[in-house]
Amino acid sequence: MAPNESPTKRPRLAAVVTAYRKLLHPQHIVDRFLEGYGWNGKYHYPAMDMVSLYVDQRGEGDVFQERADRHPTMKIYPTIEGALTLGTGKLAVDGVVVVGEHGSYPRSESGIMKHPHYEFFEQITRVFRDSGRSVPYFNDKELSWKWEWCKNMVDVSHELNFPLQGGSSLAVTWRIPSVEFPMGATAKEALCIGYGGISSYDFHALETIQCMVERRKGGECGVEWLQAYRGEAFWKAHQEGVWPQKLFKAALSRSSTLRPGDPSFTDIYPTVEQMKAMVPDPLAYQYQHRDGLRSTMILLHGMVRDFTFAAEIEGESKPFSTQMYLPMPDGRTTLASFFSPLVHNAEQLFLTGKAQYPIERTLLTSGLLIVGVDSANAGGKRLETPHLAAVTYQPNSKSTFWRS
Amino acid sequence: MLTRRRFVGYSALSSSMLAFPSLLRSGFAQTPPGSEQRPLRLAVLGSSYARGANLQTIADRFLIGYPFEGDWHLPNVQVVSMYIDEQSRRVAAGPTEFDRASTGARRGSTEATPSSELSAARAKQFGFRLCRNIPEALRCGGDRIAVDAVLAIVEQCNDLPYPSNAKGQALLPRYDFFQQCVQVFEAEKHSVPYFNHKQLSFSFSEAQSMVKTAQRLQFPLMASSSMAVTWRLPDIDVPLGASVQEAVMVGVGGFDDMDFDALEAMQCMMERRKGGETGVKSVQLLEGDDVWEAQKAGRWSKDLLSSALSRSDTPLGLTVLDGRNQDLANNGALPQLVKDPAAYCIEYVDGTRATLLMLNGAVKDYTIAVRLGGQDLVSTQFFMPPAPSETYSTCLASKIEQMYHTRTAPSPVQRGLLTTGVLEACLSSRHRQNQRLETPNLAIAYKSPAESQYVRI
Repeated sequence: MAPNESPTKRPRLAAVVTAYRKLLHPQHIVDRFLEGYGWNGKYHYPAMDMVSLYVDQRGEGDVFQERADRHPTMKIYPTIEGALTLGTGKLAVDGVVVVGEHGSYPRSESGIMKHPHYEFFEQITRVFRDSGRSVPYFNDKELSWKWEWCKNMVDVSHELNFPLQGGSSLAVTWRIPSVEFPMGATAKEALCIGYGGISSYDFHALETIQCMVERRKGGECGVEWLQAYRGEAFWKAHQEGVWPQKLFKAALSRSSTLRPGDPSFTDIYPTVEQMKAMVPDPLAYQYQHRDGLRSTMILLHGMVRDFTFAAEIEGESKPFSTQMYLPMPDGRTTLASFFSPLVHNAEQLFLTGKAQYPIERTLLTSGLLIVGVDSANAGGKRLETPHLAAVTYQPNSKSTFWRS
Repeated sequence: MLTRRRFVGYSALSSSMLAFPSLLRSGFAQTPPGSEQRPLRLAVLGSSYARGANLQTIADRFLIGYPFEGDWHLPNVQVVSMYIDEQSRRVAAGPTEFDRASTGARRGSTEATPSSELSAARAKQFGFRLCRNIPEALRCGGDRIAVDAVLAIVEQCNDLPYPSNAKGQALLPRYDFFQQCVQVFEAEKHSVPYFNHKQLSFSFSEAQSMVKTAQRLQFPLMASSSMAVTWRLPDIDVPLGASVQEAVMVGVGGFDDMDFDALEAMQCMMERRKGGETGVKSVQLLEGDDVWEAQKAGRWSKDLLSSALSRSDTPLGLTVLDGRNQDLANNGALPQLVKDPAAYCIEYVDGTRATLLMLNGAVKDYTIAVRLGGQDLVSTQFFMPPAPSETYSTCLASKIEQMYHTRTAPSPVQRGLLTTGVLEACLSSRHRQNQRLETPNLAIAYKSPAESQYVRI
């Protein structure tokens, strides 16, 4: 049931998305297949056709009809099944692009928005099963808000033998400086500082860490426990050195959006008091990998507007650090160009029939987010994670971040 | 005739401009912990220390450190004195002593300084001397040079603008600052490294004389902006010694403004071509529809524009409307988006061509594409992170520091000199109805440093 299209034929793709409005993930991602994008010093048009679109939530500000009018190859279908079968009764596309981010859905008991990644997945794989054939599957961001469903998605992809590629653009965007975590290095501590809120941008920060540390000696060996820190507990932990100050400083020194804690300066390293004044709701998830690596994901919303990474690598005198740069259309840019490497890697998935990075990375980060929110809800209780200890995998040897 | 005042700040003023010889030093600031060597003593000279001014964003880095190479780097540099031109100019622009006596008018001194002027507050916090004139800043109140380096950042002041000439150039007294320093250097037979932010002068002949003086007195002189040394997306350069056919750079901003930075950024890639820099044979500044016509006539290449724009994160027009990506070079939108295009067309002595397109309305960032001999294109974006932190200037600060400590400029001052001349010639072309101008005085040959000097780590 592996993809069996000849490479000379342009793959035909179906898009299954939540809501298609300006600056929502579906617009960023599906648009790139339709409109092309700057890549490798040229304006690039993907060598594949988006032939169908399913939009789960419609409303004011929709731009998909405008896109369909200008790109008549793309037909809009009222059901997911229709988008995949193109009305033929059988799977009629060579790849599926799923964007489950954004839109408005109810929240789970723990407060995570119940984005319909899994519901989409179920309907799509039903068509795969009914057709006796599966095709490459791109899934933007996390797998699901529910661990059992995350796990099930990966299991079904193995069972039906189709490549499933997911995750955040943080793992594939520009790095400043343009450096890669040394393959096979031994890391003791790793840390990411990002921004945004709980159960949202924490996923990006978790992916930032994971795309780096999975390259350490032995590969990923799973996570034993996680503990969240929020509010006063966060500042206490910070001052007590629960995460290394040295890595915190290294990561913060890679930021290009550090807000000055003293308004008469424009770029100044903040004191803890200044940080407290700027960040009303700090959040950290600290977690222990089975080989002894300790990772800490930190969100300092109000103080920075970027994602930075630092790690202590054995044999290196100073921390390894970089910024995962997001050109962000919040006034800084007009294009969210970090979707370009995400779509480029999706194109490679469809052209080669091979996932460009392991889905287990996304399985682990999806699981970490769920436990992180649970720990925060439980007042920062350390939670054992036997289910995440079982997520072990090897990284792809090839780097997939944006360098050209 | 130039209307700017020469030798500003020499006027003997009353004690209203108090120096602050306090030895107070903020604990986190001026001496890096564990530094063995005596900190290098720095005189800061500039136009205005208003928040957001180039002087504030760069000089602050020598006071409180800056993020660099994954650490908060504290330079082994101590700011010991500062001269702010705006203060003296305010006094000079105010009523005279006679006026004050006869009319009761208030004096135009620090009392009238807007609250955004931070030099007095910084002097107090960091314990350096705020000086009434440049020689005093170099001597720190004594009778001998008492600094090891000079940081000169002369820029336009919004509150009290310097006048402009008919070509639209602000008559910024960069040459005057330099000359005043040189007089002290010569009198004492002792010179120190000198950093000049951006172009050397509005006048190429003044710039030439500055470079000659620095050579004669044997002190390192650096004239640069941040764009030439900031990170690039992707991290790429013209390979040293590569045959280069043509370059197109895209930027935004006004005349005699960011055009210097963009021209310099382009120059630091072009100078790496086969044979090294040969200098510039002619320039022409085109405006309006002539910019698009020049492409049709083969003066600049559309595929290079397309390649440069493929590196942009800020296309305007339809992207702002509904978020879509656009092939701006080929979708016909440029003439609508860019009401006042400008093309700075440069022809080098060796025949290589380079064009800076200022496309206000189309994009908001700075990108370049260069065609190499084998038709390969090299393209990138010069990364200019936003205010307030403007971390691109950390890259410049690190280069300035390198010059201070090694007494060697990281890149040849001829680059700054040539760019100064190219900009002045382009603005002259504009002033003469966009005529093509031969530029025999710009036949400045020099060799690029073997290693790329932009920040990569």
